Amino acid sequence: MLFTFLKRFGWMWVSVLLQALILNNIHFFGYATPFLYVYLLLKFDANISRYALLLWGFFMGLSIDIFSNTPGVNAAAATLLALARPFLIKLFAPRESPDDMEPGFRDMGAGPFMRYTTVSLLIHQTTLILLVTFSFAHPGAMALKIVGSTLLTALCIAAIESIRK
Amino acid sequence: MRNLLDFLFKYGYWLLFIALESISLLLLFRFNNYQGSIGFTSANRIVGDIHALSAQVSSFFTLKEANESLVQYNLTLETENEMLRKVLRNLTTDDSIIVQQLEELRQDEVFHTVPANIISNSLNNRDNYLTLNKGAIDGIRPEMGVICGNGLVGIVYMVSEHYSLVISLLNSKSSISCKFKHNDYFGYLKWEEGDSRYAHLEDVPRHALFQQGDTVVTSGHSSVFPKGLMVGTVEEIEDSPDGMSYQLGIRLSTNFASLDNVLVLANRHAEELDRLEHITKEEP
Repeated sequence: MLFTFLKRFGWMWVSVLLQALILNNIHFFGYATPFLYVYLLLKFDANISRYALLLWGFFMGLSIDIFSNTPGVNAAAATLLALARPFLIKLFAPRESPDDMEPGFRDMGAGPFMRYTTVSLLIHQTTLILLVTFSFAHPGAMALKIVGSTLLTALCIAAIESIRK
Repeated sequence: MRNLLDFLFKYGYWLLFIALESISLLLLFRFNNYQGSIGFTSANRIVGDIHALSAQVSSFFTLKEANESLVQYNLTLETENEMLRKVLRNLTTDDSIIVQQLEELRQDEVFHTVPANIISNSLNNRDNYLTLNKGAIDGIRPEMGVICGNGLVGIVYMVSEHYSLVISLLNSKSSISCKFKHNDYFGYLKWEEGDSRYAHLEDVPRHALFQQGDTVVTSGHSSVFPKGLMVGTVEEIEDSPDGMSYQLGIRLSTNFASLDNVLVLANRHAEELDRLEHITKEEP
């Protein structure tokens, strides 16, 4: 129990630092930024309690926010994703998968996992961009950012998954 | 009662969700209009230290560029110095008057500078902030101006003991009074999300005299920046949306993508101004 917590805590810090110090500075064509810290949120075991998931999401988002001077933005987006995650898993995971599976290529299959990842990233990115811009003045640029970051992040996640598999 | 407990156990995570989202939104809005949330920014002690470390590593890779730009800047200053000296020599034979005037100028100088390094910077958000490695201990206070060798950088927003958070020019909250170098027509420098090399000069009156390529400098109307600091050049001339004034596209002279060393302009009268503000606040 404690071991799992410490492991998750360690990974959280690794991904927060990676996100805040390196990935946040990447802007492909000015639109696409990889949000790899979401990957950690997607990888928690399927039977984790909803409370724990919400708290993990919130604190991970908050740490990113503190680093990048966007208080509350990532926290709100990650918490919303944490709320939606159990429903998404139910929606995309194959029927016969065990309760305590770890979402990924191995336990879910590549297709379902990528669908689950893409929808999750879309939820996260939409919330994030809406909170950051707080207006509908440039809907085209906003949509480009959401789609660009989602695709780039999904691509990175697919690469990591296929290596880890 | 049992039903209630069952219900809470089953759906309580919605309550937790609502609580967490409220905290997030509270942080978001508080940060936007209340200067008390320094702990939740990159100027907080631990996060500042981590950023400083990462900046040290990355500045190592840009040393060469920084060096070249410094040499370039040094050269321009040297030629300017030479020119000024020549002018000074030709101006008058009575040295004492000049010396006296210089002395007066020096005493009159309201601003002194504190050099600082940028430890975190962003360009691509709607509201961009910089973090500096100098804070309250080094005499930095909110509302101080920040410049670099080529032009303006921003205004200090919050300070912690060792770090400070600066609202960059590339921030929707930033609005700086600027004028043309060769006359006194002024406008406000604003920035919209997008290109970090261009900003807008708004509210320039219709009868103002200027043309493309004119230099824009600070107006000195506020206590943040002295008069005459380089801001950029006029690149585009457009009408404002309401047609009542001009909206100029300004090419900024500051290169925000490769900033490292900056100067904070400490107003010598800041403490006096602080005290004055304090008095007005205390009065009902």
